[in-house]
Amino acid sequence: MKKVRQIIRVAVLLYSFCLFVPCVFAQTEQTDVDANKKDAPKVIIDCEIWDPVFIQEAIGFIACVEDLKDAHVWLIITSKETEAGIMDYTISFRGQNEFEGDNDELKYQAEKDKEEETVKTEILNIIKMGLMRYAGKMPVSSRISIGFMDKVKPTDVEDKWNFWVFSLSLSTFLNGDKVYKSGMYSGSFSAARVTPEWKIRMSLSGTNSKDRFTFEDEVFKSTYESYNFNGLIVKSISEHWSVGAFFSVSSATYSNVKLSINPAPAIEFNLFPYSDSTRRELRFLYRIGYNSVKYREETIYEKSYENLFQESLSVIFELKQKWGTWSMSLEGSNYFHDFSKNRLRLSGELSLRIVKGLNFDIYGNYRRIRDQLSLPRGGASLEDLLLQLRELETKYSYSVSIGLSYTFGSTRSKVVNPRFGTGGRSVSISF
Amino acid sequence: MKKSLMTLLFGLTFLCLISTSVSFCQEEEIDIEELKKQAPKVFIDCSMCDIDYTRTEITFVNYVRDRKEANIHILVTSLRTGAGGREYTIAFIGQNKFEGVNDTQKYFTEQTDTQDEIREGMVKAMKVGLMSYVAKTPIASRIDISYSEEVQPAEVKDKWNYWVFRISGSAYIRGEESYKYKSISGSLSASRVTEELKISLSSSVYHYRDDFTYEDEVIVSTQDSVYFSGLCVKSLNDHWSVGFFLSAESSTYENINFSIVPQPAIEYNLFPYSESTRRQLRFLYRIGLNSVRYREETIYDKMSENLWSESLSITFDVREKWGSISTTLSGSHYFHDFSKYHLTLFSILSLQLFKGFNFYVLGSGSRIHDQLSLKKGEASLEEVFLRRRELKTSYDYFFSIGLSFTFGSIFTNVVNPRFGSSGYGGMSVIID
Repeated sequence: MKKVRQIIRVAVLLYSFCLFVPCVFAQTEQTDVDANKKDAPKVIIDCEIWDPVFIQEAIGFIACVEDLKDAHVWLIITSKETEAGIMDYTISFRGQNEFEGDNDELKYQAEKDKEEETVKTEILNIIKMGLMRYAGKMPVSSRISIGFMDKVKPTDVEDKWNFWVFSLSLSTFLNGDKVYKSGMYSGSFSAARVTPEWKIRMSLSGTNSKDRFTFEDEVFKSTYESYNFNGLIVKSISEHWSVGAFFSVSSATYSNVKLSINPAPAIEFNLFPYSDSTRRELRFLYRIGYNSVKYREETIYEKSYENLFQESLSVIFELKQKWGTWSMSLEGSNYFHDFSKNRLRLSGELSLRIVKGLNFDIYGNYRRIRDQLSLPRGGASLEDLLLQLRELETKYSYSVSIGLSYTFGSTRSKVVNPRFGTGGRSVSISF
Repeated sequence: MKKSLMTLLFGLTFLCLISTSVSFCQEEEIDIEELKKQAPKVFIDCSMCDIDYTRTEITFVNYVRDRKEANIHILVTSLRTGAGGREYTIAFIGQNKFEGVNDTQKYFTEQTDTQDEIREGMVKAMKVGLMSYVAKTPIASRIDISYSEEVQPAEVKDKWNYWVFRISGSAYIRGEESYKYKSISGSLSASRVTEELKISLSSSVYHYRDDFTYEDEVIVSTQDSVYFSGLCVKSLNDHWSVGFFLSAESSTYENINFSIVPQPAIEYNLFPYSESTRRQLRFLYRIGLNSVRYREETIYDKMSENLWSESLSITFDVREKWGSISTTLSGSHYFHDFSKYHLTLFSILSLQLFKGFNFYVLGSGSRIHDQLSLKKGEASLEEVFLRRRELKTSYDYFFSIGLSFTFGSIFTNVVNPRFGSSGYGGMSVIID
């Protein structure tokens, strides 16, 4: 590797006839060095074509020096004309001192008769890009911004799968001691195709979990099972409107459902353009659907199956700004055969920096429940209740969490000290 | 030698080819779609990043979902800073046509930074690091780097001398007709972290309560605990540290009214501490005196005791392109009776071995022969089901294994928020 580097070095030297224009001239002309430049990369510019002073001024975020000992980067720009009348420019970056070994080399080509101004601008751009690896490690980087001049479609790629992605996952979790043992097994398969115009997503998943407690020589066993198919298709209409359909098939012990089939066409309006979604959104999603259900046990309404029409409206609001994150959602649904069978759900989350150091978080969720059509007649046992294995009869449910923290002192310290560990570790697995 | 020359020639030819296309593009009308097709392919290996935001903000590269497909593998690791923020190390690893082009950028956050500030800073650091690669592809001509001369306020002198304090409180309630739950907690911490010395003190209080209504009867179950922990570590060199732990607690779960444990300790890290986010192998030895007063008489007929114990824990962590390994083995015993010991092994292995295939295995097992604080008498049904009391056991374990295989399109450039967002499938494992 070292040899290759040597060869490149020799090649570059042969390739060029570089005039060494020391930056001293630059220094004498510009005696008042901007205070900002103190934390900028110090560069020695070695260039045959242009004046280093010009380069320094055009780039802005570098300071010229004359001695390799003071430099962060040694910048060498050389050019050579090829037989085809094309100018070949080589821009090499050699890291010095703390950047020792941090080297890079960039190339640029232009036809000989190309307008000089254009060539200059383009080469300067390449130099700036090459300098970013050094500038990024210095305070000056906070004043540099990198932009992209064009708007591109994310689908401008060559993709033989036409954006289809398939995924299969399997997992198991076992845990126990002398008194308690539990095992959970789950698997899923999904297929998705997401483009700006269409979103298609399908997934099939199943979970089976078993718990076993030993209490006074008696063994309590409980089982939880759930199987789902979920499908979604959405067509983009405009920056604010979308139409689509949900389709789900499910079975679960928790809700006493043996099999439920639920197709639901839907329409959505977003008050803000969808392209702002990572910062803000206010979506109104309306669905109307048909619900065909077969129960595991007869319900409190003496049904073992039913076919019902249902509608729902959700309003989802989310804002992510400098001061924090705020989201709210309100969802209401009702059955058509009996409007008193309805449900209302309100949830919200706010994470706020009130003043420097003082953070406040609140999360809340409230449900008004009038549509527990699937409750079994038999009721729940004590262990079903304690372990929350069954849906229980209730007219409401809520949860609220509030957190407040105040941090003060030397809060800008960037010291990292990993000695004696960082106190515990967490592992999270998501599918 | 011949091979090196060949490589060099190939390299030069390749660079020329690229730059030729640059100049051609400028001659004609710019075909941005064509440039985008040749843009570098990036795999972002970062569990704490807002990926959708990154995709929306950085559009001059193509995103792929598998590291093997990428030209640039961006591996992000992080460590907590003394002020409670994070130091993110963003390693840019060149692959395939960028083999050998590597860079590392750092980004620091403060504890009170909001999600928006963190993701913005992260995107900025990624853009900086990507420049070295983008400059070698035709899309470079469409990048604009600008510099603003605005004067930044000078760094203020640290009058707190590295001390950071934090007060926090939280409450959680949840309920429905037959079940109510609440938890309240509070904590107070003070720390001072420098390269030479780490001091961290914290105390916390927890209260939990469940109320069940069953056949007109109300079953109430509560749990209370108070903890204090203190740590002071002196750095000796890049591999050795010495320090002191002090912990105190009171807990209904463990039947402890009050316990205090001072422990001097010493640690050796086989790798330099400066490489901790990527690899470490630490041996931590402690010796101490446990002074305990119980709430109720224990199964060994004790109300209080003072016992000497020692412990050793070995932690091994590696984080590489192919995945990560993390293992901790710890053992402790009392000196008055060597049969009173505790041994725990925790291990996780997460691999991305070949295209589209992710695999993890995670497990922990303990031999438990030191339950000195168990109280006499039988546990009630709700104590057992809700795990509100430590129960006699000689072992415990958990084990989990999972795999996912993803195939199809490699690109993940698209962000489509319609009808709500969700992941691309597959699986991710985060070890913090």
